[in-house]
Amino acid sequence: MDFEFTEEQKNIRKTIIDFARQELNQGVAERDRNGTFSRELWDKCADFRLMALPFPESFGGDGFDFVTTVSAYHALGYACKDVGLVCALATQLVCGMQVLLFGDESQRTGFLPDLALGKLIYAQGITEPGSGSDTFAMHTTATKKADGYVLNGTKTMISNGPVADRALIYAVTDQTKKTLAKISCFHVSKHDSGFSAGKPMEKMGLRTLANGELVLSDCYVPAASVIGREGQGVIIFSEAVEWERVLFPACSLGQLERVLEECIQYAKEREAFGQPIGEFQAISHKIAKMRINVELGRLALYSAASLKNRRKRAALETSVAKLFITESLKQACLDAVQIRGGYGYMSEYDAERDLRDSIASTIYSGTTEMITNTIARLAGL
Amino acid sequence: MSTNDIVRDFITHEMLHETLTDSLGDDEQLVESGIIDSLGIMTLLSFLEEKFSIQISGDDLIPENFETVSTIVNLIERYQA
Repeated sequence: MDFEFTEEQKNIRKTIIDFARQELNQGVAERDRNGTFSRELWDKCADFRLMALPFPESFGGDGFDFVTTVSAYHALGYACKDVGLVCALATQLVCGMQVLLFGDESQRTGFLPDLALGKLIYAQGITEPGSGSDTFAMHTTATKKADGYVLNGTKTMISNGPVADRALIYAVTDQTKKTLAKISCFHVSKHDSGFSAGKPMEKMGLRTLANGELVLSDCYVPAASVIGREGQGVIIFSEAVEWERVLFPACSLGQLERVLEECIQYAKEREAFGQPIGEFQAISHKIAKMRINVELGRLALYSAASLKNRRKRAALETSVAKLFITESLKQACLDAVQIRGGYGYMSEYDAERDLRDSIASTIYSGTTEMITNTIARLAGL
Repeated sequence: MSTNDIVRDFITHEMLHETLTDSLGDDEQLVESGIIDSLGIMTLLSFLEEKFSIQISGDDLIPENFETVSTIVNLIERYQA
């Protein structure tokens, strides 16, 4: 068991950190204030091949293994203060993994190059107004026709939705069947008749990530749009969630490390009652707790990433990593505000935005409460 | 234990939380009855791949292959062949 990054991984991480600091952080406060997703920065990330990392070279990717991809997004989360942009990129990768693992050869060849190069933005349409945590209670339907399907329904809060060129839409294909066999996954284009995207929704954090509705109104797609097979949607989703619960926490762990570093620096420089505040136990213990969680988070993350790298099932390990890292991040961001006192509460400083951004991480890709339920069940209860 | 027994034993104990393996027939519907759901399928896959040293590809991850103990055993045997 080797927990060291390889020399190649170290180089990739350093390059990404330099890139993010130089190219992605300027103007983030303004974009956050205005709720702006930056296509310009997306294109810079595309040119930097951040979306190409895990996909085979034959499909336009760079062919890195999953642990390397995770280490890269871990570095990106650390250096990039535009957390919404990082989430937009990670969403693209999760969509690509579904096509790579379950698409047929023509779908991989047809869809993955533009996805890996970031030419087209992808979204994943699962959540609906009446079904969030109860995912498979979705109402969007796909009715089979002679040579295709007609989709009807509304997806909401979809990451990248308002700016998406393509979407993987999950819909019920057979209401008479039980959960496992009733849903299918469809590749839909924004040009398909009957497909429309809403405006970005206002939200507390991740304001540079565009979230919104996708509306399917008698949206016709050919039979070749089904990813995998009809009725395979729940299995595709369940597998995708495992990849997602490594990739997104990698970004969150990076953010946690940045928050920790900034807190240490602040606690050393800020003085009160004649000494640096870091010398007060009330402050140092908060920071020590962050450091402990970074260490444990790394173990949980790379343990799960290693399993997925070897194409193992990892429902428990990915759930544990996701829950632990995101809850640790949220607590660290709250403590970072508290450590700074009034300055932490001011929007002028990063700590306030970090806290707002961090809350989302404990909600998307399974709320902490739902993931705890999952872990309990996997524990045999 | 035969492959059938191993699969039946796992589903009975881990998914039905019952102790009597005989209570589950080889052709009893697992998907239609809801015994195997979205989390259950991942748990089952993890067990099968570990136990039988196989890796089931995306093409075979379809509900039809997990409908009954018999279809699961057929799938395993295809990978072992």
